[in-house]
Amino acid sequence: MAAAFPYTHYACPCSDLTSTAPSSISKRISNNQPANADLTDDRTFNPHDPRANCALYPLDHLLFCDECDAIRCPKCWTEEIINWYCPTCLFEVPSSAVKSDGNRCSRNCYTCPACTAPLAVAAMPQPAGDYLKPTEPATEAYMLQCGYCDWSSRDLDVLFSKPTKITEQLAKQRKARLGSSGKEASDKDAKPNPVGHDTAFGSLTTFYKAQLSESGDAQNQFANSPYSSPANLQRIMNIYGGLSANTLKKSRETPQPMREARDSNEGFSTYTPDPVEHEATVISKLRSLSWEDTTTTEQRLAAPPNNYSRFADQLWPVATPLRTRKGKRCETCRHLISRPDSKVSHIRYKIRLLAMNNIPRIFMRPLHLPNPPPPNAAFRLRADDAVQAELQPNVAQQYILTIRNPIFETIKVTLATPGTTPGNVASRVTILCPSFPVGPAGDVWDEALSSSTTPASASNDGSRKAAMASLTGKAPEDADRQPEAGKVWDRTRNSTSVIVEIVPGPLKAPPSIVPKTEAELADQALDEDDEVLEVPIYVRAEWETVIDADAFGPGAKDDKHHGRQGEKVTKELAYWCVLGVGKIAE
Amino acid sequence: MSRPGPVSRRSTKSEYIETDTGNKISRRAHIEGKQNIMLGGKSVVMAGVCLRGDLHRKSEKPAEGEKEGPTTAISVGRASVIATNCTIRPPMRLSRGQMTFYPMRIGDNVFIGPGTHVSSLSISSHVHIGANCVLSPFCVIKESCKILPHTVVPPHMVIPAGSVVAGRPAQIVGEVGEGWGQGGGAEGEEWVEGGDLRPLVRSIK
Ligand SMILES: [Zn+2]
Ligand SMILES: [Zn+2]
Ligand SMILES: [Zn+2]
Ligand SMILES: [Zn+2]
Repeated sequence: MAAAFPYTHYACPCSDLTSTAPSSISKRISNNQPANADLTDDRTFNPHDPRANCALYPLDHLLFCDECDAIRCPKCWTEEIINWYCPTCLFEVPSSAVKSDGNRCSRNCYTCPACTAPLAVAAMPQPAGDYLKPTEPATEAYMLQCGYCDWSSRDLDVLFSKPTKITEQLAKQRKARLGSSGKEASDKDAKPNPVGHDTAFGSLTTFYKAQLSESGDAQNQFANSPYSSPANLQRIMNIYGGLSANTLKKSRETPQPMREARDSNEGFSTYTPDPVEHEATVISKLRSLSWEDTTTTEQRLAAPPNNYSRFADQLWPVATPLRTRKGKRCETCRHLISRPDSKVSHIRYKIRLLAMNNIPRIFMRPLHLPNPPPPNAAFRLRADDAVQAELQPNVAQQYILTIRNPIFETIKVTLATPGTTPGNVASRVTILCPSFPVGPAGDVWDEALSSSTTPASASNDGSRKAAMASLTGKAPEDADRQPEAGKVWDRTRNSTSVIVEIVPGPLKAPPSIVPKTEAELADQALDEDDEVLEVPIYVRAEWETVIDADAFGPGAKDDKHHGRQGEKVTKELAYWCVLGVGKIAE
Repeated sequence: MSRPGPVSRRSTKSEYIETDTGNKISRRAHIEGKQNIMLGGKSVVMAGVCLRGDLHRKSEKPAEGEKEGPTTAISVGRASVIATNCTIRPPMRLSRGQMTFYPMRIGDNVFIGPGTHVSSLSISSHVHIGANCVLSPFCVIKESCKILPHTVVPPHMVIPAGSVVAGRPAQIVGEVGEGWGQGGGAEGEEWVEGGDLRPLVRSIK
């Protein structure tokens, strides 16, 4: 993965890769050492599995369904389009117009057919001498110009008389051009007129629409009903109305087969090979042109007008494709878990249930490092901050693993990790204290008030210390403090830190005296990304919560927590996550 | 690279000059046209950054020019960070042989990675820009966007809110998650892209 180290990616339990819990977690009693012996390979989530990347997400991409009490990821939510808009002019397009405009903006927004950058309308440059005596240019002409590559609509000999209504002007020129080329062909070699793509499509649409309405009228007695969908009405009538006379009749007679288009007026066209001389010109053109003068597959597929463009100078400007705003629903219970505001210019959410507000968050940083990288590597401040030291194999490293609790109850967290990382490179991992409580989150105001008014409170002191530690890279007073097994390293009001010891495994197995077989050597060969040290960790949180009145509101339909109001219930949540530690040196 | 003597002696004293509103400006930043630059407070301008406040729209009536207050060429919001060696240059348009500069607006909590060249018309709040990008003249970056390192945003490109952008020329390659900018910023917590940058600003000394 391309993310900078260290990172934490979370796996949604909906995948079969990530749904199983390590057996240790259920069997474990209060034991300081993780019961790694129980871990069998098939129960451990392997971050180097080819499918693993499809199950892992950064936390800000995951949602949470509070009806199902479960993490939701793109595989277990469904999306629904709220609106369509053009990314360039930011105008919303009504859903009725989206289809007819081909999912593209019809308001003068075009992208470069050569490089995809947006095109701007520019006045044709005046002859250089005119700059010295600025007068109104005699004839105003405009063109679409790419500000990134050298493309302009002049390459196509397409110029505009005014800088507005580009779409209309462009359509007119396109039509004129297609019409003239069609006529030329028929003039030259008295063949049946090859119909243009758009015309053919238009005629076919009208033809089949006519066919459909004819056959529909014959069969459908409700076609003229005031209901919007006669087919629906028909279906309903068939379900509830028993066998109507019409249905009985219909079931006896065979349906009238629909006719296909059969002449060019109906949109039918036959394949006519290009005339020989035309082919010859194409071949000679290909001989003289360079590779760049022919189109790429991406360019051809970017828009229908370019589907058959063989040469770069035939590429037509591409109308900007629309984008959408989408709402998300839990696939299991159909509840909305995210619904953005329909306003295009901003991102606001009417509903947004984030995983990060509901599941414990994990964050890792090296314990002893002379000059620590910023806690989030995305915030590189200097060019040389980028250099991240590689991990030395067989050298034990200690890391601080911080678990932060976003919910308002104290949670009991149990961590489990395989003793050696799965995959081709086996690194040893030991969590010194795998089971501990994490305090409840307060609301933002509590935090702000406590830090400003009660400077001596213990929890606040802890968070200050942690802040200092994160800023300076070391704990303020006891820098030479040694981590101990079974002891929590640091604690703030809603976070607990423990120490993890990692011994990166060697990329190459030590040379052996016994010569190896080919199969063994092939087995040792490293795959892509094998040098990336990723530690899978299974996180399980358990907490008690008091049932509140809300749980018995109209929305609550599950009898899962059947208890009276005020009664305590135990809840639990578990998931796999992967900590990206770094790259192992050769 | 050898730095001139007096500058390095001063920078050992303190790298940043802090303004009344808490802006931190590196002594090693190159700032032209100070009077045309507005910093919203708690924003950081790091070493090697070049701010071209001198490139502003010339007043239409030169006769009254002296009485007019300074025009704004670059305005930066609150808690935004301009990392090392960035160039911030207001966009310019040539019309009838005249150069006209347009004021540039950068919002709140915007992070601009090291070595990036910015000539945008506007960058809205909570935008995270990676290292060594080029934001070409008149591009518009709407709020909560993420621009990956080494991206070249072409001129006049509008990037709609919540887009993830990469490539040369830039293309929209995805959307930021619902949780963009959320869940960080508290004391002792890691900084979050697109989030509240005040803890990051505090840490820059
Ligand atoms: Zn899922
Ligand atoms: Zn548009
Ligand atoms: Zn182009
Ligand atoms: Zn659900």
